[in-house]
Amino acid sequence: MARNPAVLEVTSVHRKFGGLQALSDVSFAVEQQEVVGLIGPNGAGKSTLFEVISGNIPPSSGAIAFHGDDVTRMAAFRRRRSGLCRTFQKIRLFGALTVAQNVAVAAQQCVVDGNWRDEVASALAKLRLTAQADRYPSEITLPDRKKVEIARAIVGRCRVLMLDECLSGLTRDEADEVVQEILGLNRQGLTIIVVEHVMPVVMAMAQRLVVLQHGCVIADGPPKEVAANPVVIEAYLGARHRPAP
Amino acid sequence: MAGTIDSGAPVPAGLPGRAEFRQLGYGVALVALVACLPLLPFANSYLIGIVVRALIFIALGQAWNVIAGIGGQLSLGHGVFFGLGAYGTGLLFNDFGITPWVGAWLAAALAGAVAVVIGAITFRLRGIYFALATVVISLAFEKLARFYFALTGGDTGLAVNFRGTAPAVMQWREPEAFLWISLAVVLAFYAVTRWLLRGNFGLALQAVRDDEEAATSAGVNVYRTKLLALLLSAAMTALAGTLHLQFYLSIDPGTAFGLSQAIQIQLPALIGGLGTAGGPIIGGAIMILLSEGTNVASSRLGLDGVDVLAYGIVLLLIVLKAPVGILGYIKSKRLQRSGRAAPAGGGD
Repeated sequence: MARNPAVLEVTSVHRKFGGLQALSDVSFAVEQQEVVGLIGPNGAGKSTLFEVISGNIPPSSGAIAFHGDDVTRMAAFRRRRSGLCRTFQKIRLFGALTVAQNVAVAAQQCVVDGNWRDEVASALAKLRLTAQADRYPSEITLPDRKKVEIARAIVGRCRVLMLDECLSGLTRDEADEVVQEILGLNRQGLTIIVVEHVMPVVMAMAQRLVVLQHGCVIADGPPKEVAANPVVIEAYLGARHRPAP
Repeated sequence: MAGTIDSGAPVPAGLPGRAEFRQLGYGVALVALVACLPLLPFANSYLIGIVVRALIFIALGQAWNVIAGIGGQLSLGHGVFFGLGAYGTGLLFNDFGITPWVGAWLAAALAGAVAVVIGAITFRLRGIYFALATVVISLAFEKLARFYFALTGGDTGLAVNFRGTAPAVMQWREPEAFLWISLAVVLAFYAVTRWLLRGNFGLALQAVRDDEEAATSAGVNVYRTKLLALLLSAAMTALAGTLHLQFYLSIDPGTAFGLSQAIQIQLPALIGGLGTAGGPIIGGAIMILLSEGTNVASSRLGLDGVDVLAYGIVLLLIVLKAPVGILGYIKSKRLQRSGRAAPAGGGD
């Protein structure tokens, strides 16, 4: 089967903080409309990799290409405007702005064609937040706040959505609701990279898993294959995930 | 304030609509009262002078509120821009005969240029570098103003060549004209603040204030946004500095660039409500009323010096009771009554 072209390519990325090698020779590619799970134990370098890809932290060496263009030195806000979007591990909404205004901030910057107000309304509708539009973040539930972050990330020209532990703190039902929203976005054509610790969820969501340990990629492949990989079981998944003999 | 985006969602009860219309009514009545003050039978130059002082004070608070309240960048040295406005206008008039009507804009441009240089150096760094830089530059300008006696008049300061009542050079013997000019400036600054709170640039600026990294992830050019806000704030401060100079007809290094002036500039917004459009107006008006009230009371009672103490105590009580400012306090109470949680800050 012919492979889709890569929308995001991370090539030999290294990142050092003083004496700590946070990322070491990390390489992987993400194809159009793929859902890629980025997993690994705490301190493996997942969040650092997110920061490097989104442009908040420059890599010590290596390259990042987005739709074939080298964006390694591109400012973070320009990456967002070109469609490389993200959410945060800890919710970071603008507390003094309403839900609609939170989304509007991104729409005003990122909507190239068309009316940004329409885009805000559309993003809110997609995440079923229209009724919350005029509420402040402090007035809405945790799952809705997570969805506002996603709406802010997808509004405008979003081509790759990076979700950093967007299910943390949610109950199972709440997590299911958010997962359905995410998969719905993927069905509409969005490419998604997700960092997640809830393994059953990430196994069900992702079409491919990239496993990090000590800043290195130790596995990259379909979830079933990765789950059976003895190196991954040893490093992260543990015996519970060991396939039956 | 409710959302400015037409989301099609129902408008939450008790927020805009009638309440906003009522606020507009109060505002128009207040403006009309101030504008017509000279026509009232009890008005005299002293009373009008107090109101002019209050309006200039409010304008300074509004200017500082743009960068600190809406932009979240703590400037501890806004006296620099105030001083540049006052000294710039005065020097252009005294030495080159340039009318303050034009000089005010040139001085505002100079203040904006200095602001861009300060911001360009400090806004790339995170932390308190901007606040520290403004203090240091403020102190440096004070020293320069004292040192270059031939240009600035040194410690004595700069006196404007007074020509009597001469509207062409923004000079009047009576304070009525200053009342109207200052009122127009306050109204213009109020409009700028409202625009910032509701417009595209203002939304980005508030996003930067709340969380720079999240703003970046929303596509906001944080550096440029902060720089533009500082430029605007500095130019507004310089315009208020021009008003101050034309009203008092003199300026000295301590009044212009001193730290006490920088702190005074911050108080209207802090007392009235940081990041709100009405806060600096309420805060500035309360402070001048308090200042005058305690001054008159202490003089009548023969308790000189007690006025400053009383003024300080009342300000302290306001800050303790309403740490988010008077408007912030009122807004949170109103939202609590309607069963809603208070937002993190800002608003109209």
